[in-house]
Amino acid sequence: MSAEWITPAVLVLTLAPLLAAGVSLLVASSRWLHVANLASMGALVVAETLIARSVVARGPVTALGELVYIDALSSLILFIIGTVGLACSLYMRSYMDEQVARGVIAPRRLNVFFCLFHLFVFAMVAATIANSLGVQWVAIEGTTLATTFLIAFWRRRESLEAGWKYLILCSVGISLALFGVVLMYYSSVRVLADAGAGLNITQLQQVAGELDPHILKLAFIFLFVGYGTKVGLAPMHSWLPDAYTEAPAPVAAMLAGVLETVAVYAILRSRGIADQALSPEFTGALLALFGLASFAIAALFLLLQHNYKRLLAYSSIEHMGLAMVGFGVGGAVGTFGGLFHLLNHALAKSLAFFAAGNIHRRYRSVEISEIHGLATVLPGSAAALLISGLALAALPPFALFASELQILTALGSWGLPGDWGRSGPSGPLILLLLCSLVAFASLLIRITGMVWGRAPETVAHGEPWSTGHLSLVLPAALLAVLCWALPGPLERLLQTATSILIHR
Amino acid sequence: MSWLTPELGAHLIDLGSAMLLLTCFAIVAQRRLSACVDLFAVQSLCLAMTAAFVAFLTGTKHIYLAAALTVVVKAVIIPRVLRRVIERLNVTRELVMNVNVPASLLICAGLVMVAFFITQPIIPFGHILTRDSLAIALAIVLIGFFTMIARQKAVTQLIAFLVMENGLFLGATAATYGMPLVVELGVFFDVLVAALIAGIYTNRLQDAFDSVDTSRLSELKE
Amino acid sequence: MERTVWLSIVLTLAQVLLLIAISPGVVGLIRKIKARFQCRRGPTLSQPYADLSKLMRKRPVVSTTTSWIFTATPYVVFGSTLTAGLLVPMFASQVPLNFAGNIIALVYLFAIGAFFLMLAGLDAGSAFGGMGSSREAIIASLTEPAAMMAVFAIALTAGSTNLSVIVHKTALLDGIVADPSPHLLALAALFIVTLAETGRVPVDNPATHLELTMIHEAMLLEYSGRHLALLEWAAAIKLTVFLALLANVFAPWGIATTLTGTALALGLAAFGAKVALLAAIIGTLECMFAKLRLFRLTDLLGAAFILALLGLLLFYILRG
Repeated sequence: MSAEWITPAVLVLTLAPLLAAGVSLLVASSRWLHVANLASMGALVVAETLIARSVVARGPVTALGELVYIDALSSLILFIIGTVGLACSLYMRSYMDEQVARGVIAPRRLNVFFCLFHLFVFAMVAATIANSLGVQWVAIEGTTLATTFLIAFWRRRESLEAGWKYLILCSVGISLALFGVVLMYYSSVRVLADAGAGLNITQLQQVAGELDPHILKLAFIFLFVGYGTKVGLAPMHSWLPDAYTEAPAPVAAMLAGVLETVAVYAILRSRGIADQALSPEFTGALLALFGLASFAIAALFLLLQHNYKRLLAYSSIEHMGLAMVGFGVGGAVGTFGGLFHLLNHALAKSLAFFAAGNIHRRYRSVEISEIHGLATVLPGSAAALLISGLALAALPPFALFASELQILTALGSWGLPGDWGRSGPSGPLILLLLCSLVAFASLLIRITGMVWGRAPETVAHGEPWSTGHLSLVLPAALLAVLCWALPGPLERLLQTATSILIHR
Repeated sequence: MSWLTPELGAHLIDLGSAMLLLTCFAIVAQRRLSACVDLFAVQSLCLAMTAAFVAFLTGTKHIYLAAALTVVVKAVIIPRVLRRVIERLNVTRELVMNVNVPASLLICAGLVMVAFFITQPIIPFGHILTRDSLAIALAIVLIGFFTMIARQKAVTQLIAFLVMENGLFLGATAATYGMPLVVELGVFFDVLVAALIAGIYTNRLQDAFDSVDTSRLSELKE
Repeated sequence: MERTVWLSIVLTLAQVLLLIAISPGVVGLIRKIKARFQCRRGPTLSQPYADLSKLMRKRPVVSTTTSWIFTATPYVVFGSTLTAGLLVPMFASQVPLNFAGNIIALVYLFAIGAFFLMLAGLDAGSAFGGMGSSREAIIASLTEPAAMMAVFAIALTAGSTNLSVIVHKTALLDGIVADPSPHLLALAALFIVTLAETGRVPVDNPATHLELTMIHEAMLLEYSGRHLALLEWAAAIKLTVFLALLANVFAPWGIATTLTGTALALGLAAFGAKVALLAAIIGTLECMFAKLRLFRLTDLLGAAFILALLGLLLFYILRG
């Protein structure tokens, strides 16, 4: 693709969700809502594929007068947004219509739902392609604002509580990140001649080496804690299980699969700048330690869960912790593993939430103890749940196995960064292995108990094929394929993104 | 303007920042919700004045715009929304606090010290105009953060969040002479929307729980 | 040499007379402002003068159960308050008694007055007097640390505990306004201390008599005639001195830094304007706020203490 196609592609990327949001408010029938949804997601996927090909072939691009900056890393995140978003759109076709048919929500509220959903997608796209760290912050806060009503969409007491917690904790956390952005700017305006561009990634990358390390250290800590809240790293994770449990299934899938990834992307971006002035051991140790802590805490909480959506939520915290360990340890293997893990986790977790949504609709319960015999009641969803469960437990033949192995290899070879690695890699490695064993056991025991067993008489049996099932097939197939054969373009994208992160 | 030396200008900006800090303490010490809203409006006015003064001293035109937006959004619209929310609620004051007032004040004083110590190493690098503004901005952010934890009413938590935003804006204006315009506009938009959303939430919480006491929000547990 | 001594004596006399003369007027001004806010016309500004002159002409009635402390207290209080007033620059930055004491002496001169007043409250043995004394003791024990901290914060920024030096330096913008943050925090603390020490709303309500909430008035309940006049006058002077302290330490602009005729006239005018403005602020605040419950006072005075402490510590950080 030649360079003049970049600007239209970027315009499609940003305008498609915005247009869809506008259309969603205007059309009356749910049919057109879904058409707009699928069309905008399709356009998104096409545009990001074109951009990704150009970026891999010709390197980073800027567009719209330096407002937009896309390199391989942002392309990868766009790819995740597009893939999971498309799967979500397919899933919403059956899911939302059934909610309306059952009278859970008024048809009119479907318009609001889709409008907010598209705004949410727009904010994530904007956060990924923004050249300015400030605009990135605005967009990430925008995701919070767009999703808070989506989480509380059922308007039950519990969902209101979850929505309020999410709004307050994430807004506060992200305010700290804004302070980090301010500090970043504080350090850059003294070096850069053009103050208006003082937050642009393109500018900062050039002068990062000259920035004051004291300020950058402080800035990175604030940015990390702020966006870390959004990622759901322990101990800033308390909003996450509530929000994922109460949100409608497609929203939970987007939150767990995509939003966390975008927040990780924001951390990686600032790290890329901070690392040039600081020793990478400092940022690496911060990432790895918080990652380890999240992994361990989430693994322990997995043991206690009796609600399958919360189970999946804690598993998200666990996997994000693991990806953070990968980025923290760094090197080609660790970073590649971390990025690959982000992709795989997004696929597996959205699959899991789609299945959980189907189960919830049929059984009307989120208690693990009340769900038995999925294999006969909902064979398709049972298979999806089983596949995602095995994948989340990092078993072969699913791609999370490959990426987890890479991260563990990196940790085993190099140990923790900086002073923390003095005592050798065995300590953290043993901790990680123990915790993944715990997570493995708690996930599989619960899921096998749900899939097999005697189905209750009260629920209807059988699951006819619908378009919604495409959303189960797509991620499941990808997960299985990616473990054995990484497609060439995707591998090149991952490689280029890795080299951006470790290139100094 | 020969009387207006850069030294004196810096002192006046610092004075404005100190006024913000003082209103912060007043908000922490205040139990009546309506008085907290008024104090927030006063704080926002102080912020706008400080920003306008920075704009005047540095000749940066777009900070005037930010100052005007501060007045409109944070000193007029948001307080009005908050007052309407309070009118609709059946509570007018914080009765039970997680941390009582004297202890809160003491902790806040400690937070100010922490902020000054954290920013101490980087202050000498700043512009001559702003010496303690960055530290005070951080202090306000920390105090807002603490107030969110220490108070139970949804409205107070919202005000604390807005106070944090004021601190951030002070940092952005006084320490760096304003971020790029597009960023500032975006931040304003986010804050306004966040406040409106939280206002709507407070109403819904009131309807669902007959209370805006967030300690009642305890249905979601492990 | 000869001339400066005479000048000092003249200035001392002038300040004594000024304090005695304007202090009832300040009280009258606050009352007038409050009345206006309450949509009343209110008594004229000269009403406190008329009250005092009437009381002065009456013979005091002294209970037979009281000791010498009861009769001595009005004179001690009046004397100590007036002496304290001489330590504070009013219209000229050079205080008549600046060689004799500093800002710490000021705090303790007021403490002597408060101490005797508390004793006198107990002396007559009435229930109200004892109650007032005990409350006054609580408040004094809470305000004293705050006052001292605020005073130290100011003294440190000026590099001297001498009020004349502080005011003189600030008026000439000599190094003091370099740290506005500690200054402002100390000002806020001292303002709260002023409200508490002079028995204004929200700490005490000077307009109430025979109510369970009164503090200062409870101690004066047994007094009558010229004793009462002296005590009320002393209270008015104390208020004026505190207002002068606030005005001149934190905004000394306009004060006479040299002893020329025009400078002194200008200083006098600026002093009048500043005290009137502060009185107006206090009057407005009294209309806006209700008196706090006694047990809530710890919040307010605790805040004053913490603000002053913070001012003090910030000074060390900023200079450190």
